[in-house]
Amino acid sequence: MAFASKSPWVIHYDGSSCNGCDIEVLATLCPGFDGERFGVINTGNPKHADIFLVTGSVNEQNIGVVREIYEQMLEPKVVVACGICACSGGVFHDCYNVIGGVDKAIPVDVYAPGCAVRPEQLIDAIVAGVAKLDEKSAAMKAAKKGA
Amino acid sequence: MIEMTLLTTLIGTLLFALVAPVVGCLLAGLDRIISARMQGRVGPPLLQPYYDVRKLFEKERASVNAVERVYVGAALLFAVLAGGIFFSGGNLLLCVFVITLSSLFFIMAAYSTRSPYAEVGAARETLQVMSYEPMVLLMAVAFFQVTGSFDVAAAFGLTHPAVCTIGLVFLGVLFILTIKLRKSPFDLALSHHAHQEIVRGVTTEMSGPTLGMVEIMHWCENVLFMGWIGLFFVWGGPLSLIAALIAVVVVYFLEIWIDNNFARVKWQFMFKSAWLVALVAGGVNIAVLAFL
Amino acid sequence: MELSLGLLGFLIVFPLIVAAVLLFVRHEGPRRVIVCAAAAVIAAASVALVVMNLGAATVLFSFESEVVDFVCTGISALIAAVIIAFGVRYKNVLAIALAAVQIVGTLVLEFVFAHEIEVPYGLYFDSLSLLMAFIIGVIGSGICVYALGYMEDFQAHQPEGAADRRPLFFALMFVFLAAMFAIVFSNNMEWMFTGWEVTTVCSFLLIGYTRTEEAINNAFRQIVMNLAGGLGFLAALYSCAITVGTFSFLDFLVIGVNEPAIVTFAVTALAFAGITKAAQMPFQTWLLGAMVAPTPTSALLHSSTMVKAGVFMLVKLAPVLAVAPAPSIMVMLVGAITFVLCSFMAISQSNAKRVLAYSTIANLGLITACAGVGTPEAVWAATFLILFHAIAKSLLFLCVGTAEHHIGSRDIEDMDLLFDRMPRLARFMMLGIMAMFIAPFGMLMAKWATLVSFVDAQQVALIVILAFGSAATFMFWAKWLGKLAGIAGSPENVEVTVKPTEWTALLLMACLLVLGCVFLPLISAAVVEPYIFGVYGTVGQDISADNLWLASLCTIIVVVVLFAGVGAKPKGRTVDVYLAGVSRDADTRSFQNALSGTAEATTRNWYMESVFGEARIAPVGVVFNSLIMVAAFVVAFVVTPLVF
Repeated sequence: MAFASKSPWVIHYDGSSCNGCDIEVLATLCPGFDGERFGVINTGNPKHADIFLVTGSVNEQNIGVVREIYEQMLEPKVVVACGICACSGGVFHDCYNVIGGVDKAIPVDVYAPGCAVRPEQLIDAIVAGVAKLDEKSAAMKAAKKGA
Repeated sequence: MIEMTLLTTLIGTLLFALVAPVVGCLLAGLDRIISARMQGRVGPPLLQPYYDVRKLFEKERASVNAVERVYVGAALLFAVLAGGIFFSGGNLLLCVFVITLSSLFFIMAAYSTRSPYAEVGAARETLQVMSYEPMVLLMAVAFFQVTGSFDVAAAFGLTHPAVCTIGLVFLGVLFILTIKLRKSPFDLALSHHAHQEIVRGVTTEMSGPTLGMVEIMHWCENVLFMGWIGLFFVWGGPLSLIAALIAVVVVYFLEIWIDNNFARVKWQFMFKSAWLVALVAGGVNIAVLAFL
Repeated sequence: MELSLGLLGFLIVFPLIVAAVLLFVRHEGPRRVIVCAAAAVIAAASVALVVMNLGAATVLFSFESEVVDFVCTGISALIAAVIIAFGVRYKNVLAIALAAVQIVGTLVLEFVFAHEIEVPYGLYFDSLSLLMAFIIGVIGSGICVYALGYMEDFQAHQPEGAADRRPLFFALMFVFLAAMFAIVFSNNMEWMFTGWEVTTVCSFLLIGYTRTEEAINNAFRQIVMNLAGGLGFLAALYSCAITVGTFSFLDFLVIGVNEPAIVTFAVTALAFAGITKAAQMPFQTWLLGAMVAPTPTSALLHSSTMVKAGVFMLVKLAPVLAVAPAPSIMVMLVGAITFVLCSFMAISQSNAKRVLAYSTIANLGLITACAGVGTPEAVWAATFLILFHAIAKSLLFLCVGTAEHHIGSRDIEDMDLLFDRMPRLARFMMLGIMAMFIAPFGMLMAKWATLVSFVDAQQVALIVILAFGSAATFMFWAKWLGKLAGIAGSPENVEVTVKPTEWTALLLMACLLVLGCVFLPLISAAVVEPYIFGVYGTVGQDISADNLWLASLCTIIVVVVLFAGVGAKPKGRTVDVYLAGVSRDADTRSFQNALSGTAEATTRNWYMESVFGEARIAPVGVVFNSLIMVAAFVVAFVVTPLVF
């Protein structure tokens, strides 16, 4: 039995956005939606997190930050692009400094579009991410046994 | 005789190592559910802390250096030993000293990483130890004054619970218990909640299995501290254990209530209030017992 | 017993001969051979003396000598001459006056009052003297060996053309050892007094070694305070001659236990002498000032000699203090207040040697307080505090001295990454620090016994003081330990140039420390308990043997963690620290700042200047302790009958 899915700790980073999705992510983690029912805890530390929630697009200035957070997370880990800007750049896609969606910086596992993305959808995305976590955890275990 | 006591302590330690994590884990789960209810939420399942730790042990091993894990391991070992000493009826002072040793290794683990956040956390943790240590020592002294022995087992020889004569000391211990349990308003070094201004304080760099060990250590510590609380309520009769259990439940609930109702304070307030409480509650009670 | 007497005399005389020879050796090569050989011989002789007399009760030697009496008087005159000469040269009137009073007082005592008093048993030893002999002989000579390498570096760091006073330095170190042996083995209080004054003047010369203005000032502060203490000793001798009628220290103690009123003044005066020598507040400034001297001097003053003479005297007086209220309250309160206030002030210091100095004064305060309590349990605790403090503190001083020469600073903030830069030294230093304040090491076991003895004696004030002082102790040691524990990348190892003599001494101290902690129950049974039994007729020991063995077990675990566990290869991926943004270089903790520039994260320890600053705390102790001592002397003067 994999425990990764039972305790998805998340870290949240807001890239270049209007902050709408940012607020929705925090709303999702607040008592109203009670993410802790599923073991979701918002950590401020990539080293403790399993799921990386990114809102907003990636630009020249923040791409390094996004990459570093991702690298500092421990395997197994999952990235969720929250909102249309994080998925593709959204309305900012042709700004001079915007590179695009989060997948331009790091591999994304779940896309949750929306402007702004709604908490229900975010919970859905996290649940989808959790399934991925289990897959990756199982793969890690298999690799360990094989090695 | 020597071998006997050493053997009892070692067996006690082994049993504690098996039982305390289970009890501590359930306590932590209960804590989270009750906290959620106080905030108008449903909260996680009771076994959520267990899932968390199992997950942490499934994570990849990654660390800033090789020594952090060793220090955390030593901290866990000594926390378990302290519990073993206490619950096998051993010397209360030795138990206090060994749990302090455990705290020291935890602090060293944080310092060894040289993460600025972990260092701030470690410095605050050191301050916390300094804040609660006088009251803890005075607790042991007061216990000795009541029972005539530092051995925990001596509590069962009493004709009435210790809290009747060292009630002030009990209140003092209750005050610093909030620091020891890392509950708000005294969770300066390491908070169990997400809202922390120094990332994650002491455990910033601890991840995966190392963090799992830290969690288990906290479970064991919590069980031990609850044991200290229970110690105030036992006396000769077997019924006293039930009284102690009720007291522990009430105190634990009180701590959760405090945790959910107070905002974190600055270090100055924590330090000065903890020492003042130790001086007044501990000093007065001990003086009364010594001179009356 | 013949052999023991021979060894005893040898230990007092041999270092003097070595000192005389060293005074004329100007070259490094021969000096190294002589010092190493002499240190080995002294250590071997003291160990032999201890081993031959394990568990011994008091052994008195019938030894009386007019010659020794005259030599002692001659030495006193010499000391006075040296001090007056320096006083004239550096225009210090107070020192001249005190030295003059002292020599006149000594001569009057010797030729007017003391003429008829005879001490048939001039020399003695008991288990406490043996323990002291072990500390002086092994740790003291270890420090002498260490000094060889250290002083070579020290001289190299001096400005071009600076005078090389190393012959005098090493001679003084050995004279110091001889004087200490004389103090712990003399039953004749006049001889003891001579040893006492020799240590005073030796430390005066050692502190002033560099002859800089600061060194001279601090040396004079030391000599003034300790001459004042010496006057206390002299006053006690007068009281002994006039009221008690004996100069035999052991007889004096026995009379004191039976009739405390007669000796109250003498005991108060002797305790005052002990308090000045042990640098208790208000006299703490001389020991802090002594830090200007080369580090081996500090190590010698702090760990095995000088201050230990002060507490040795107090511990010896403990049985009398248990029955004489006035000096007892003075010693107890002065010690306890010094302990707690100096522990507080240590928090506010970043200079490693100053932290060590405050910690020394604080621990001496604890020993003093134990002596003041005077119960067998308290003496047990005091004895172990003396032993473990000597070992751990010398280890720490030697570590700091070596670190200073290799990283160019004695500031704790500069010891960042010492674990990388000097891996072996850092481990020794960490061991020394842990041994000073944390269970299961001997120092804390002794503190534990102290607490229990205070509880037994119902000393509420002392209990509370100990609780708060110990908490402060945790703070200042833990934050230093944390500084050392940091690891990042692999900076250059600067340890390779540490001299072999330094490693030898460090390793000796570390081994002694670990063995001492592990075999604490055996030391208690073989050395400490016999002394207590001999003095009190009971065995005062508050910590049960099984708990002591449990602590030994923990010691082994901690040492294994420190020396074997912390060196393993990392398992899994090695990652950088989290810097909340884009890191530039994790080893230096630099990151990309808001303007895309590079910023470096720095951290400093907490010093809590506003709470524990010297300016706030020191005056409290100075005023309070001075008042206590004045009051005690007034009471003692009234209580003691004057019999002519």
